[in-house]
Amino acid sequence: MTNFPSATQTQTKPGVANAEGGLVVLDGPDGVAVTMTPDAAKKTGTSLITAAELAKEQIVARDPEADV
Amino acid sequence: MFTERFLRHRRGVYLDGEERARLEAAITEIKTLPARQNVSVAGEELNHSILLIEGFMSRYLDDRNGLRQLVAIHVPGDFVDLHAFPLKVLDHDVATMTAATVAVVPHSELEDIASSLPKLTRKLWFSTLIDAAIHRAWLFRLGRLDAVGRVAHFISETNVRLMSAGLSDGKRFALGLIQPDLAEICGLTNVHINRVLRQLREERLCVFRSSLVDVLDPEKLAARGQFNPDYLYIDSESN
Repeated sequence: MTNFPSATQTQTKPGVANAEGGLVVLDGPDGVAVTMTPDAAKKTGTSLITAAELAKEQIVARDPEADV
Repeated sequence: MFTERFLRHRRGVYLDGEERARLEAAITEIKTLPARQNVSVAGEELNHSILLIEGFMSRYLDDRNGLRQLVAIHVPGDFVDLHAFPLKVLDHDVATMTAATVAVVPHSELEDIASSLPKLTRKLWFSTLIDAAIHRAWLFRLGRLDAVGRVAHFISETNVRLMSAGLSDGKRFALGLIQPDLAEICGLTNVHINRVLRQLREERLCVFRSSLVDVLDPEKLAARGQFNPDYLYIDSESN
């Protein structure tokens, strides 16, 4: 059986958020397409930043020389 | 003739005169239905299938909150619930999207066709396999494409299906769907669909206005939606 690369990959490009009619529309990365209220978008943004910082700490814990 | 659009321009499955006459004879009733009406519901036992003559229909599922997800759109010429012949009970609801005219074919007639006309039976089977191919394309669309890509793919697909049915010239077609329908088909919110349609209009790819669709650049629209019509098995010499 031929091995194909999985279509579900870790994203390296950010999604793009726009304001539309009093809501926040997030396009991408990849197949992501979500509409949120401003409050939900803010909380999602905060959660993403917190998780991103934690993920960076995990990388450094694994490899202190890593460039993050 | 009620069956003239059935398998029209599909690769290698032309109905010959005898087959078409048999299918016409299998029709026991022509019904006109209002828009937005359920035709069958999940779990209901069915003893007939319906061929869509005019209008648009859908298959859909509701989530636990009663929110609808459209899982298929049917265009004239589609044998909408032919799969109910072997299944008898469907796992989804079937409804009209617009006012529609349908031909009713009892399963007893299909049983008779299956036992006496193997070539026609194979062509009926072919039509359900095209439905399955379309389902696979819809999975790909929702799983892999961004918002603009999803809408571009759906409009490109519908354009080709309607061209096959003789209802689009490749540049313009009446769709009979509204923006919230597109939203449910593409898994997007209304505000998101509104934004996407504006973007497609600004990029001069297509214009969706009052249920009339102008495809300004079919090739670029197809490219934007990663749409390849091979899965529709259209006879390439027909369009």
